[in-house]
Amino acid sequence: MICCKECLDLLSDYLDGDLDPKSSAALEEHFQDCPPCIAFLNTFKTSTHICRETLSQVEIPEIVQVKLKEFITENTRKKA
Amino acid sequence: MSFTQDKEAKEAEEVLVRELQAGNLEAYDKIAELYQKKIYALSFNLTRNQMDAQDITQEVLLTIYKKVDTFQGKSAFSSWVYRITLNAAYMRLRSKKKEPNVSLDDLLPSYNGAGFQQEKIQDWSENTESLLFDNETKETIQKAVDQLPEKEKVVFILRDVEGLSTEKVSEILDLTVPAVKSRLHRARLFLRKKLSHYFEEYQSRREKK
Repeated sequence: MICCKECLDLLSDYLDGDLDPKSSAALEEHFQDCPPCIAFLNTFKTSTHICRETLSQVEIPEIVQVKLKEFITENTRKKA
Repeated sequence: MSFTQDKEAKEAEEVLVRELQAGNLEAYDKIAELYQKKIYALSFNLTRNQMDAQDITQEVLLTIYKKVDTFQGKSAFSSWVYRITLNAAYMRLRSKKKEPNVSLDDLLPSYNGAGFQQEKIQDWSENTESLLFDNETKETIQKAVDQLPEKEKVVFILRDVEGLSTEKVSEILDLTVPAVKSRLHRARLFLRKKLSHYFEEYQSRREKK
C-alpha cells in the first residue's frame, strides 16, 4: 500500500482527474485504511471550495463602473 | 460552455480584435465590456484594494486600446489581456510595502520516516457552510490567500478562482503544465493548513458549548 506522503502528493492530480486509473485506485485503497488522510482529503477539498466561493464574488462597485466608463470615453473619444 | 459555443465565442472575439486593430471604436467598447470585470476581479484579488484595482483596470483598458496593434495572435487574446493585467498589478505591488513572507514549507504536511502523517488531522469540512457569510470567516479566507507567496498565489487565483484550465494558466504565465500543477498543489496545501487553524478552533469552541 502507498504511504500518506505518496497519497497527499497526488491529491490535486486525483481531484482534478489527472491521475491514471491505477494510481487513483491506489489512493482510494489508502483512504479506506487511513482516516487521517480521509480527513485531509475532505478539508483539502473544502478549503479550495470556500476560497473559490469567497474570492469569486468580486464585483465592480457601481461608482467604479461609472469612473471606468468616463475614463474610457475620455481617453478614446477625446481626439475624435 | 460546450465546445461549439466555446469555438463560436472565440471566433467572435477574434473578429472584434481585428475590428479594433482596424480602429473600430465600437469593437473596443465591446472588448472593454467583455473584459473589465475579469481585469478588475484579478487586480482586486491580487491587491485587495479597490483604488488599486480601479487604477489597474484603467491602465489595462488603455493599454488594450493603445497597444492592440502589437498583439500578434500567437496566443489567445484573453491570455494577452491577463498578462498585461498581471504586469500592471505587479508594478503596483512592487511600489508598496511588503508583508513579511510566510514560509510555505512550514505549512506543508509533515511525515515520519515511513511517510505516514505525523499530525492529528481534524475533519472540519462539514462545518463551513453556515460560516461562509460571516465577515470574520471571509476575512480569514482572504487573508490566507493574501499570505500565499506570489508565485503560488497567481496560479491559485487564475486556476481555482477564475476557473481557467491548467493549460491556459501555463500559457499566460509561460510555465510548463507540471510547474503550474506543482504550484497549484502547494497553494492548496498551504490554504488547507491556514484555514484548519481557524475552523478547528471554531469547531472546538462549538463542542465546548
